[in-house]
Amino acid sequence: MQVKVVIGTIAFMLTMIILGFAALREPARLEEFTLAYEGRSIENGARLFQNNCATCHGVNGKAEECYDSAGNVVGCKGLPLNTASLLCGDKPSRMVTLGWEGTKGNFVQNTIAAGRVGTVMPTWSAQFGGPMRDDQVGDVAAFVLNWESDAMCGVEAVVFEWPDSVDDFLADYAGDAANGEGLFLTYACSGCHGDLGTAGSNAVGPWLGEIAVIGGDRIAGTSAAQYVYESILHPNDFIAPDCPNGPCLSPSAMPPNFAERMSANPQDLADILSLLLGE
Amino acid sequence: MTTFFDQVKEMGLKQAAIAKVDEAAERITAGMNVGDIRSALRGDEPRRPNPRLRPHADSFWFHIRPSFYHTEVTHIYPTFRLGWLSTFMFVWETITGIILMVFYTPSPSAAYSNMWNILSNVPLGQLFRNMHRIGAEVMVLVVALHMLRTFITGSYKKPRQFTWATGMILLVLTLLLSFSGYLLPWDQLAYWALTVFLSGAEAAPAPAAVNSNILLILQGAPSLGAGGLLRWYLFHVLLMPLILGIFFFVHYYKVVLHGFSLPPGREEIGEDTAKRVPRTERTYFMPDIFTSELMWTAVTTLLLVAGALWFWDAPLEHHADPIVTPLHVVAPWYLSWSQGWLKLADKTLVVGFIPLLMVSFIVMPYFEVGKSRRYADRRLGLSVAFLFMAVMFISNWMGSPEYRVEGSPEMEVIQEILPGEGAGTMLAVPYEYLTPGTYSPGQEIPGNPYLTRALEEYQAAMGRHSCTLQGNPELDKCKSEGTGRYSNNSRNTAMLDPISTLTIEEIQPNLSTLTLRFEATGVDLDWTSWRHADSNYEEECRFVNKDC
Ligand code: HEC
Ligand code: HEC
Ligand code: HEM
Repeated sequence: MQVKVVIGTIAFMLTMIILGFAALREPARLEEFTLAYEGRSIENGARLFQNNCATCHGVNGKAEECYDSAGNVVGCKGLPLNTASLLCGDKPSRMVTLGWEGTKGNFVQNTIAAGRVGTVMPTWSAQFGGPMRDDQVGDVAAFVLNWESDAMCGVEAVVFEWPDSVDDFLADYAGDAANGEGLFLTYACSGCHGDLGTAGSNAVGPWLGEIAVIGGDRIAGTSAAQYVYESILHPNDFIAPDCPNGPCLSPSAMPPNFAERMSANPQDLADILSLLLGE
Repeated sequence: MTTFFDQVKEMGLKQAAIAKVDEAAERITAGMNVGDIRSALRGDEPRRPNPRLRPHADSFWFHIRPSFYHTEVTHIYPTFRLGWLSTFMFVWETITGIILMVFYTPSPSAAYSNMWNILSNVPLGQLFRNMHRIGAEVMVLVVALHMLRTFITGSYKKPRQFTWATGMILLVLTLLLSFSGYLLPWDQLAYWALTVFLSGAEAAPAPAAVNSNILLILQGAPSLGAGGLLRWYLFHVLLMPLILGIFFFVHYYKVVLHGFSLPPGREEIGEDTAKRVPRTERTYFMPDIFTSELMWTAVTTLLLVAGALWFWDAPLEHHADPIVTPLHVVAPWYLSWSQGWLKLADKTLVVGFIPLLMVSFIVMPYFEVGKSRRYADRRLGLSVAFLFMAVMFISNWMGSPEYRVEGSPEMEVIQEILPGEGAGTMLAVPYEYLTPGTYSPGQEIPGNPYLTRALEEYQAAMGRHSCTLQGNPELDKCKSEGTGRYSNNSRNTAMLDPISTLTIEEIQPNLSTLTLRFEATGVDLDWTSWRHADSNYEEECRFVNKDC
């Protein structure tokens, strides 16, 4: 019996030592698992993004490279998400533009969950009739937010002062229509406005093949060039009458941030203008 | 009755305190004072009247235990402590389970994140989860072995038939308890194992009215969801433990009533002398059996804690998703045999046969009435038992993923090195060693042992599912450039002439894609997994039960 008492006591003490060892390691382990949980959430989000979002926002979130389900290149209908204006700082400029209070994480997550009314950005959360569970919405949001990087946010955002008059602008930048054709695709204008050579190829916005002519009639006293210029920089200032699915909605489904996106390369706008206006 | 104060006046503080402690000890042990406890521990003869018998009369927990055992049944043989161990495991599961319950909500929107919360936010949470899960498996094993031993020693024979019958019910309850707990993490593993099993219930050979309602009863809805989770949770934490507790007391009452059966050779054939214990052959519960049980408690606890901390990790896959069927749905090993049977016979037949088998086990002692418990007289019975066990082992193997219809070869390669669930070889490579680039199977990366090892496994998997690399003249080229082809046709499911590569690309800060590319006759596939720097798949791989 003495042997049993000894064995039992030793076993008990060893158990206590092991538990003590485990307890000491515990804070570090909890930290590791917290990070692992976030890491795996981002991984899940990456898969969801690839399957659901890349068709509109592009495979790398820059709204540059979009494929349909069959793998054909299509115009990107969504905004770039992998961009400083959405991700940098506590209050990225997109939040300011849209007047959103609260945190950045909240902004992104809620936008994904609820979609954007009046735009083609769908509702995703099952709560609002979308296809995703809440944890999945959280996962994609974590993935989108993970694009934030020092390389992207370290550089000062370039702010270009767009002149009021298109003539002043074109005085400094001479357009190149041939280059504009490529830009019309990469800025995803074609995703909504279709192919300039084919009337009726437009999916969301008006067909722009004849905008050089009709643009001048939109607003009395405004030239076609000035009108197109403003339409791109401030889509909401004037809503075009006819969209493919009936009257165009207000607020405009056209992304309002081209002014910002083209700030670094104002030449791009000059090229697109040259393409649309045929000069 | 004098007060403590009076006693102090009478005998002085020291004596009064000693008397008080003595009194307290006597109350707590229901009869033994400090002197009695010390003498018992020293192994002295008890005084008269024997104070060590008093707890058996006065205290609840001791009164359900016998006051002495036949010395013959206190050795490892014949019980192997297996009945005791079953009881211990049940208590163990209850304690660890109650702790986990505190952090768990039975709802599809919360359950899975609760598991991660237990892992990442509850101190010792991972340990408790592992202890509960390892405990569940050990309990099944121990109960099954206990059944085996009572069969082998012929302890089910008259007068212990009813003990055996209640034992069978305990076995079924143990399996159900273990399996109902399986669902609660609400991950893919859980969800699909249960879905497959419940679909079996639908095939039961019963009137259509029963079959069409059985799923409704078992999961509250046509498919497994919130209602089903709640039901299985309640089964698991309330109904089953309650019934198991009740049957345990009936079982144990019968065990004490008839006494532990002596080793078969110790009795005349047809006699049961377990209750007639000569004075010289008695081993008293207090202190011998009690000390022994305390020792076993300490030792088993030590083993389980160490096992849960270092050797055995409870799995947690992705969130349950009714739309995404995993490549292989795996049943827990203790039910694998039924999956094996499903591969052999019609579903309805199997689902009908299992309850029949259970009932025949329960009533077996009432029909198998051979008088002798001795091994030599029971050759037929023992042979049948071992035959049955062999059949169960084979069925179990047939039910395991080892024995299955192979998927397409490229999917098998993926399953082996970059599976959709679990860590696997590739994800277990530490993030800093996942240098972006394109690699071929078997390529050697200088200064990068982790990736090199993973690529070796990759090559081995490609070899298993496309070709035997031995004698392949392009092997070296294949290794060095990744452009060579494996050519072989050793099995008819193999890929013909495949080229395969692994591409690692960092697509976000701290996030890489691992893409396996397969090009072969009739195969053109890219398979991508994502790997975050913090995901810590390495941690899983330090456990023995994880395959990576
Ligand atoms: C059918 C095309 C489409 C799909 C699919 C789509 N989006 Fe969008 N998304 C848009 C459009 C268009 C906008 C811009 C809405 C606007 O103009 O305000 C947008 C806006 C957003 C914004 C806000 C960006 C900002 O700067 O305001 C986020 C975040 C976003 N989407 C995330 C996602 C995620 C995540 C998915 C996949 C789960 C997704 N989107 C799928 C079209 C799409
Ligand atoms: C998400 C879809 C979308 C994208 C992308 C888009 N637009 Fe639009 N666009 C619209 C819609 C809808 C309208 C009509 C509502 C309005 O006037 O704002 C419109 C209107 C216009 C108009 C005025 C058309 C008219 O008939 O009055 C011009 C010019 C224009 N867009 C140019 C562009 C250019 C250039 C690009 C690319 C740099 C672009 N759009 C990208 C949706 C889009
Ligand atoms: C939760 C499950 C079970 C518990 C907790 C349990 C507990 C016990 C205990 C404590 C004993 C005392 C003897 C010993 O330790 O071996 C015992 C004996 C016995 N058990 Fe079980 N048991 C369980 C399951 C079973 C099963 C599955 C069977 C067989 C089908 C069974 C059949 C018996 C028999 C026949 C005895 C009498 C043995 C003898 O007298 O030698 N029990 N059980």
